[in-house]
Order: sequence, then C-alpha cells, then structure tokens
Amino acid sequence: MKSSNPTAVANRNYLVEMALCMGAYVAVLVPAIWLLDRGGLTGPLKFAVAAAPVVPVVFVFIALLRYFGRTDEFERRMLLESLGLAGVITALLAATYGFLENAGLPHLSAWFTWAAFMGAWLIGRLIVSRYYGT
Amino acid sequence: MNNRIRVLRAEHDWSQAEVADRLGVARQTVVALEAGKYAPSLPLAFKIGKLFGKPVEEIFDAESAT
Repeated sequence: MKSSNPTAVANRNYLVEMALCMGAYVAVLVPAIWLLDRGGLTGPLKFAVAAAPVVPVVFVFIALLRYFGRTDEFERRMLLESLGLAGVITALLAATYGFLENAGLPHLSAWFTWAAFMGAWLIGRLIVSRYYGT
Repeated sequence: MNNRIRVLRAEHDWSQAEVADRLGVARQTVVALEAGKYAPSLPLAFKIGKLFGKPVEEIFDAESAT
C-alpha cells in the first residue's frame, strides 16, 4: 500500500516529475541537435533552437522547488545546506581555474561551471548527510 | 539537542519508520532527531510531544541546546 506520509508523497511526486522532465529534455534535445546539425538555420531562430533544451531544465528546477515546498523540514535543511556548500565549492573552483587560465591553461566552456556545480552538489550532500549521521 | 525520543519510541514499541509516518516526516529525520544532531522546529517539537503524550520540556533537554 502506498504511504500517505506527506514526505513519502513528496518523494514519489518528485521522482515522477523528474522523470517527466528528463523525458521532455531528451524529446527537445535530440531534435534541437538534429536541426542545428542539418544547418540552414540563421539568426534568432538558430539561437532559439540551440537554447530550447534549457526549457525542460527550467522545469527540473520547478520540480525541485515543488519538492522543497512539500518535503519535511529536515530534508529542506539538508537540501539548502548541500546547495550552499555546492555554491561555495563551485565558486572556489571557478575562481581557481580562472586564475590558472592567466598562467596559460586553456579557456574552458561555461559547461565546466554547470558540471562542477552538479558534482559539488553531490559532494555537498554527502558531507551534510555525514554530518547529520543519516 | 539531546532528547528522549529513542526511549519513548522503545516504550511504545514503535520502529523509526512508524514514528516517521505518525509525524509525517522521513525516517532519516527521526534518525537525526534521535541522535541529537537535529533540533526540530517548534511545530514539529509540539507534534512529537503530542505523539508521546508528554510536554516538550520532558522530551527535549534544553541544557544541551547549542
């Protein structure tokens, strides 16, 4: 039987919403890449197609916000603390690499910051979970 | 913040999952509460008091609060 515990319901809804967002992401990303590879697009339309996959990513964060509003207070705290740690770690990494570029390291894509933030969020979550013993 | 949740839970013969369901929180929240690693909000503290039929000050040790 499904639990009626509001936190368990929040977890279930979050998983369903995330799965839908990921499906939408693939459904937008694949045709966007195909259209760009095919060529022929110019001007604002080309930029719109290139940026289109960010729309489902926005929905990912909306799903996260909804989860934040529905889950229990302790999970909310862990989520916020792990995001805070991720922000600090990412800022330090980005600044460090920025300075290293002055010393001759190659200029990196903006994707570096995205990947660094996601990795740092995972590390932040592990640190926070360990701190609270969960 | 030290508390008697683990003892009270044992007296009622409830698992951590059962207490979590009765409070409407995740099991990990009960784990952190019992370990004294997490001090609950006032609403959750009162909910815990109501669940065990005890006043909040009989469950939580104010002296151990940081």
